[in-house]
Amino acid sequence: MILAFFNKWTQGINNLGRFSRFIFAASKCMIATSFQPKTYPLIWTQMNTIGVKSVPVVMATGAFVGMILAVQAYGQLAAMGLEERLGVLINIAVVKELGPVLAAVMLAGRVGGALTAELGTMNVTEQIAAVESMGTDPVKYLVAPRVLSCLLLTPALIVYADLLGILGGYFVSVIQFKINSGAYWDFSAMHVEFWDIGTGIFKGVFFGGAIAMISCYKGFTCREGAQGVGEACTEAFVGCFISILALNYVFAVTLDAIYKTFWPLRSLI
Amino acid sequence: MIRPDIHPHDGILVAKNLVKVFGKRTVLDNVSLAIEEGKTTVIIGTSGCGKTVFMKHLIVLERPTEGQVFFRCNRIDDLRPRQLAGIRTQFGFCFQMGALFDSLTVFENIIFPIQQHRKITDYKALDELVKHKLALVGMDGYQNQYPASLSGGQKKRVSLARAIALDPTVIFYDEPTTGLDPVTSDVINELILKLKQELKVTSIVVTHDMKSAYKIADRIVMFYHGKIIADGNADHIRNHPNDLVQQFIEGRVSEADLAALKLGGTKYQTQFLPEDFK
Repeated sequence: MILAFFNKWTQGINNLGRFSRFIFAASKCMIATSFQPKTYPLIWTQMNTIGVKSVPVVMATGAFVGMILAVQAYGQLAAMGLEERLGVLINIAVVKELGPVLAAVMLAGRVGGALTAELGTMNVTEQIAAVESMGTDPVKYLVAPRVLSCLLLTPALIVYADLLGILGGYFVSVIQFKINSGAYWDFSAMHVEFWDIGTGIFKGVFFGGAIAMISCYKGFTCREGAQGVGEACTEAFVGCFISILALNYVFAVTLDAIYKTFWPLRSLI
Repeated sequence: MIRPDIHPHDGILVAKNLVKVFGKRTVLDNVSLAIEEGKTTVIIGTSGCGKTVFMKHLIVLERPTEGQVFFRCNRIDDLRPRQLAGIRTQFGFCFQMGALFDSLTVFENIIFPIQQHRKITDYKALDELVKHKLALVGMDGYQNQYPASLSGGQKKRVSLARAIALDPTVIFYDEPTTGLDPVTSDVINELILKLKQELKVTSIVVTHDMKSAYKIADRIVMFYHGKIIADGNADHIRNHPNDLVQQFIEGRVSEADLAALKLGGTKYQTQFLPEDFK
């Protein structure tokens, strides 16, 4: 039993080492790719697949988040006569936490799953070996454009999720619950700061990076056969989801500490 | 005929004392082989005997646990991927299932290695080049098709056209006739012979198909449990005294396999040891 535990532990360390080397190789290739115009068409193609085609899903996610928050929070605030401040609660929750996290989770499902399945199938049908046999680095050709697209477009998609979340919350609050529109926006503008919006978008870069790296790694290392690809997709989604939540916690703590440190100095600027 | 004392000068590609271990399993056990330039060397052997793994070592798609690989007297198994890229442009690899890129058309598949390694200035000349490569394998006119719409034999021919896109000096074929009907298999055999004659390339073919091996081989090497047990021309192999070689080339079931069938088929031939039958 001790030996089994030791073996599992060693295997875990080995996997972590392999994943770290993969991240290092992908990051190196990504920098090189950014300066090679020859590879830009590959990046545009991935941007279209990863970014443009994800816009409707991410917008729907954002809209429903805003609408649900309005429905759930209205009763509580109305009981205290604070319903006009509903916009503050909805908009801060949407732009700071729920918009970025849920948009990233949707992307992990839509894009992460597709990346793992695509690269996993390429792996088991020897297409990745074919790329390598023709003297091309498969990480540079297949991984770098996908990671770059995710890094650049996840923050942009979060903007869409935020926008629709804000509008969804507004329409439910003003049309369904008859809250005064002017008061709704005034209170929101008073409390939602650029910092809140900026941190949400900033987190998107890391969420995008985590989704792309984990999904591509799982695709590159998947076992043979349909079952191997299926398992890799499941592992990739679970890995992405846990990473998004863990990263979000790290950013919540770090960004909060930064905000509290610099907030008193804000009046001096 | 088997020579363990191989020297890098003995052939265009030389494997010296190769050992490959996957986990606890030794797939290649001290294998040395020199591939002669301009000849077709066919590697035969039962499934799982290490022939494909050996071929992948020659192009450094796998790195050996021990031993060295030389190409034109230069050691290549310890090179970095960037250094290997230049050497790999001199190799063409024809994968078992074709390994064509699903998302690209036949034309795009063939220009892939050219785009990666050459600066393209004249697109009209590129069209002509693709047309020429496809004509060599009898697939001209299929430029705009996707791999999904091609048959198994057509995929292998396109894969071959892609393998010769950069005019390699060595072409590797991984089971080129597996899964094809006898007529299409013979077409592939003729293609291998035609490419050897017209392009003067060195060919290394991994196959189970003895009919194909006899037709195309200048030299046949047989692997068994990660070791070379026979090496020579077609006649030498046909008359080889080793029973394992005779059993393989005649496609005869072994006593071990028969015993396994009687026992309920729970063991494969390669898992049997002589002591199982004592």
